[in-house]
Amino acid sequence: MATADVAIIGAGLAGLATAVRLAEHGARVVVLAQGNGAIHWAGGPIDVAVAPGVDTPAAAVGRLASNPAHPYAVLADDVPHALGWFGSLVAEGDLPHAGSPGDPFRALPTGIGGTRPVAIVPNGQAAILRPWDPGERLVVVGPAGFKDFWPLAIAASLRRPSVWGGLDRPERVEGVSVELPGLAARRNLNALRIADLFDDPAWRRPALEAIARAVDATGSGPLRVGLPAVVGCRDHGAALRGALEVVDRPIVELPLVPPGIPGIRLYGLLRDALRARGGRLLLGEPVVRVETDGRRVLSVATSAAARSYVIRVGSLVLATGGIAGGGLVGDPDGRIVETVLGLPAEGPPIDRWMTGDPLDPGSMPIALAGVRTDGELRPVDPADPGAGPVFDNVRVVGGLLAGQRSLAERCGDGIALASAWRAAASIATGGGGAVGTAAAVPAPGGSR
Amino acid sequence: MTIAALVDQALDESVGLSTDECLKCNICNTVCPVARVDDRFPGPKYVGPQAQRFRLAAPVPVNLDGRRVHSPDVTVDWCSGCGWCTTACPAGVKIAEVNSRARASIRAGRRPRLRDWMIGQTDLLGRLGAPFAPLANWAFRNRPIRALIELTIGIHRKAPLPVYAGRPFRSRFRRRGGRVGRPGEPVLPPPDRAVVYFHGCAANYYEPHVADAAIAVLERNGFEVIAPPQVCCGLPLISNGLYGQARGQARQNLDVLAEYARQGYRIVGTSTSCTHTLKAEYDEMLDLHDEDARVVAEATWDICEFLVDLHEQGRLDTRFGRLDEDLPYHAPCQLRSHGIGLPAMDLFELVPGLRAVDMDHDCCGIAGTYGLKREKYEIAMRVGADLFRKIEASGATETACDSETCRWQIASATGTTVRHPVEILAAAYAAGDRAATAH
Amino acid sequence: MTASPPTAVSTTLDARIAWDALVIGGGATGAGLLRDLARRGLRTLLVDRSDLGTGTSGRYHGLLHSGGRYVAKDPNAARECIVENRVLRRIAKFAIEDTGGYFVATPDDPDEYVDAFREACAASDVDCHEVEVAALLRRVPTLNPAIRRAFAVPDAAVEPWSLIDANVADAVALGSRALAYHRVVGFERSGERILAARVEDVRSGTVHRVMAAQVVSAAGAWGGQIAAMAGAQLTMAPGKGTMLVFNQRMTDAIINRCHKPGDGDIMVPVGTVAILGTTDIHVADPDDWAITRDEVDELLDEGEKLFPGLRRMRLLRAYGGVRPLYDPGETGTESRDVTRAHVVLDHAARDGLSNFTSIVGGKLTTYRLMAQDTADVVCAKAGVTTAVSTADEPLPGGEHGQRFHWLGGRLAAHEADGGGDADLICECELVTRSMLEEVLERRWPCSLDDVRRATRLGMGPCQGGFCTFRAAGAVADHAARVAGSQAEVGKMTATAMAEFIRERQRGTQPIAHGRQLQEALIAAGFQWGTLGLDSLVRTGGGGDGNG
Repeated sequence: MATADVAIIGAGLAGLATAVRLAEHGARVVVLAQGNGAIHWAGGPIDVAVAPGVDTPAAAVGRLASNPAHPYAVLADDVPHALGWFGSLVAEGDLPHAGSPGDPFRALPTGIGGTRPVAIVPNGQAAILRPWDPGERLVVVGPAGFKDFWPLAIAASLRRPSVWGGLDRPERVEGVSVELPGLAARRNLNALRIADLFDDPAWRRPALEAIARAVDATGSGPLRVGLPAVVGCRDHGAALRGALEVVDRPIVELPLVPPGIPGIRLYGLLRDALRARGGRLLLGEPVVRVETDGRRVLSVATSAAARSYVIRVGSLVLATGGIAGGGLVGDPDGRIVETVLGLPAEGPPIDRWMTGDPLDPGSMPIALAGVRTDGELRPVDPADPGAGPVFDNVRVVGGLLAGQRSLAERCGDGIALASAWRAAASIATGGGGAVGTAAAVPAPGGSR
Repeated sequence: MTIAALVDQALDESVGLSTDECLKCNICNTVCPVARVDDRFPGPKYVGPQAQRFRLAAPVPVNLDGRRVHSPDVTVDWCSGCGWCTTACPAGVKIAEVNSRARASIRAGRRPRLRDWMIGQTDLLGRLGAPFAPLANWAFRNRPIRALIELTIGIHRKAPLPVYAGRPFRSRFRRRGGRVGRPGEPVLPPPDRAVVYFHGCAANYYEPHVADAAIAVLERNGFEVIAPPQVCCGLPLISNGLYGQARGQARQNLDVLAEYARQGYRIVGTSTSCTHTLKAEYDEMLDLHDEDARVVAEATWDICEFLVDLHEQGRLDTRFGRLDEDLPYHAPCQLRSHGIGLPAMDLFELVPGLRAVDMDHDCCGIAGTYGLKREKYEIAMRVGADLFRKIEASGATETACDSETCRWQIASATGTTVRHPVEILAAAYAAGDRAATAH
Repeated sequence: MTASPPTAVSTTLDARIAWDALVIGGGATGAGLLRDLARRGLRTLLVDRSDLGTGTSGRYHGLLHSGGRYVAKDPNAARECIVENRVLRRIAKFAIEDTGGYFVATPDDPDEYVDAFREACAASDVDCHEVEVAALLRRVPTLNPAIRRAFAVPDAAVEPWSLIDANVADAVALGSRALAYHRVVGFERSGERILAARVEDVRSGTVHRVMAAQVVSAAGAWGGQIAAMAGAQLTMAPGKGTMLVFNQRMTDAIINRCHKPGDGDIMVPVGTVAILGTTDIHVADPDDWAITRDEVDELLDEGEKLFPGLRRMRLLRAYGGVRPLYDPGETGTESRDVTRAHVVLDHAARDGLSNFTSIVGGKLTTYRLMAQDTADVVCAKAGVTTAVSTADEPLPGGEHGQRFHWLGGRLAAHEADGGGDADLICECELVTRSMLEEVLERRWPCSLDDVRRATRLGMGPCQGGFCTFRAAGAVADHAARVAGSQAEVGKMTATAMAEFIRERQRGTQPIAHGRQLQEALIAAGFQWGTLGLDSLVRTGGGGDGNG
């Protein structure tokens, strides 16, 4: 496809969601990405927002939105629509999610024995949304020999009340290691390999029976089973149903060190949804040059073998992520460079990029860095906001938006979806346009 | 060139230093088709950027408990070179290329295996077999003979070996008056009306019908075709670590092709493997960075890429007739490495009635010569299993794929006819012509 | 570089023993001294306030000097270096990678120095021969193509912890002991003699009384503090040196600038990384200093003269060490000019303490000689006349026995074992689960940083981002088996993780830009975001769980 109505750069949650939504609006879309992105590290929950002193994501969004520099100041109203749309999309792909932004936070245990506040989770974690009953236990079960999941350590950690942060928790936590068929003999065992095994009904059945036996051996009474988030990948729906049937207890998948299987499942669903709606995804195609004419982007060129591959576009969406995603680079001289268009980016001075205690999420002021936008998510120059957008047919979504502290505020997914919703609507209702020609601007890249 | 520029160039071209970009994110491991099916392969992250840190730049033999060891690696040999890791890497690490060099380094410390050497001699095998095509074809399909070959040389008895076509394409082309760059031939028209055809070993010895279809389509669109003297692109040699011979062949090709490239002629190929080798691997794998290599790389086009480009300029003849069929399409790994999208699918969209479906499967398993090998055949078949199932389930009578080794793999595994996309287009043109004359 | 014989370092002290000698400081010098004294028949105890090799020895450049660096300015030092270089190549092969080294003349280096270089080497018996620049550029393609001349010398890379471990193991086999995490907090004097040292077990807080006939301080940069506790006068002039760790070996040989020694003029491949060093800045307190971005910039500027593309290569971390420089004038001033020579100080004459000796100055390359010179003085005081040379007996060899360390060794061993990632705790550095558990067995209780020194855990590109959790899990399993108290395991695991991540991050902050900044943010993203790391380290239970 050498022409597209919209090219989206970045194949993470924001990029794919924008592409799917635009395709639903009838646009011909292509997603270009250097490679896979942050969604491959995700652990399942859809993080919308947290804020001190409030106990639902919706309230947290409201709190963050009161700061005019925060993306939610513009996007707060889009959040419910975006989440509703997302909910139907994932349900359609047999990856239904539970919970809503008006629900109170619950503490989801994780694969290192910590917890994180959640409200919207995929079905594999939905069992955490219900309050713990008196006397109810959490039994953490892990495959023996799996180096990324240590049930005893996890249980020991989860027995510390402080880890639950004042949120509702089980009275007792236990950890159990189980031999699963064939794992001991394997030379290579990571989350995806185990998930592949769970996708195979023939392997799954005896494995689940072993897990069930191990759980039963811990005693009777109400309990929920914590498993590592490896219950199937391509066929997660069937695997989860099988697990619930055999283990016959509520199951909670605990997020692990990357690669994140829940994220990969979501990626697969979004990719299929995009294809089904006629969109195209080109991986391994980093954008190296953009042609512009005044305030319009005319085409993007990707780094193909021996030459560039040029796509003429009506609109461009940057979903390249912040620094973590590679959409921004922090140069050693303190400049923060947006890597595709060289858009003006704002951020703290270099001596405040990483400060203080590395274990404090607030110790990375650099996380605030990003591109500032107008109400239509078009990039503006923070030094000259009154001058109108830098480009009329460009939108910025996701982690690249300035003003969010995605770690401390846990707002990455909410912003990704809400901005995807808003950008798609903005383009579909007339922000886009015909395809043209003119001068080439090399993509700045930044130094690494 | 300034020192800074020299250094920049060296760093840009350095496959080894690209491993500096590795974020340890494990994404490459999630897309590797071989790691998915075989526990012996630890995955691209382990054998690529991770193991690279334990390799000396210039490997020297080391005495390890009485054994002389040249390279610390073993398991990297399971890598098929499909390139998906490089495609999926968010940081731009050239993982597959690093692996390829590591495999070559293992071989450098040993005498080359007869099999690996033989597999690399595609021109020789082609020339030797062509005059005896019926006999050779019979032999390659004779079970006891195949069992013997497997035992002695190490090519799996069920590996999909191609079928000799008899007279090679070059010979047929010359006979029917095609241009091959001999003195006395008519002057070649300017570059906007002529192209150089790089046919590759496959079209030459085994699939001249693919070459015929390509030429028919090119001529129909107003291009004279010249097939100047050429030898195997060298990819089978590169894949099997025989860089020295590969460089020799590369030089032979570059000496001829650079002439045309400098005059502005495009070099069009029907094998995504050959064209990728010309575009990228002479530079990245063989370290050929001279002007000849550069101009040839920039002038090389996959044929579907070329036709799509024509279409964008409004110059493609779009009088395709109706082809009422379901057509599964498999995009070869090598095509993705080109980074040109899916031009065959774009072209199929222009053919009325043609319901082309991208099978969206990562790798058919053959990975060039990998799946031919005795110890790797089973892995290759498992890698491609889902693809074969999907194709069979589609009920289609033919499938399309741009790479010859993939075609042979898929044909062998599914029993369907597998065509190069340009054959489909030629058929569509023919259908269009018939419909026109019928009126 | 790991598996030393078991029980090299002890964790408990038997206070009834009267030691022939107490060595304070478990760096290379202290460990070498422990070995030397043990071999001369003295039953010796070594103590260090932290793990062994956490002072200067654990934070230096990794260079086994040929002496080429000193031939012009300090020929005696050069001579000492080459002699000890040859000795260590004989007795400690396993800790040494025979990389070879080169002195190269860049356009910035004056002819005068370069022209005199080879002669100067010859005068100090440092092997040196000139090589063709083109040949060197083929071996090291990242080197500045404008270098004019190049000279080969027998520099090598040496790994300190396996060296220290081997010295200790040798001494332990003879009945001596080494104790980590035991800090000297005072002495008991009676007139001219030190009767005992008061030694605190850092972990439990218990203070023990250690009786020793001779007391030797090998505390390096902290020598002044130890001396002060004994009532002796000793002013050190600690010199901070900052080093930059690069993700890859852009050179397999050591590269030195052929000029008067300065900052950032040596690049050393050390294991899987390459280290550029160093600076030389006086600090008042060896425990209180920081690395600035300016220092990093200065090092990169100098480094680029050797490797023009250096700023494009990936920096993993910046770290620093403090040289134990001793200024006989005791003015405590400008660092670069203070001698690197070692000095054995007999406090009998200086301070009226008959059984107290300090060893100061020196460099790791000459540790054995320093230990020998010190042992000579100590034994003379103790009336011990045994003659023995630690230069003759090979040290008990680590993983590779009596072969030089080979970069590919660990990978080859893992591959020979079937390869694969199922048992890799630290993937970057190929640390297996059994390696980890062996260290835990041997060293328990220990921190993840102790494990790092013994295995290289967390020293690769991810800087502990991924492996911290696996290691902590293994620690928790071990703790549950050994400690018994389940209640403590959770807190201990969280502390282990937190400490390790904090320590690794210390080295990231000064170089947090480009790819490493991205790596840090990705790590933070999944550590806090996905895994809820912050929940493990907060105190109290209030609030809604956010940071």
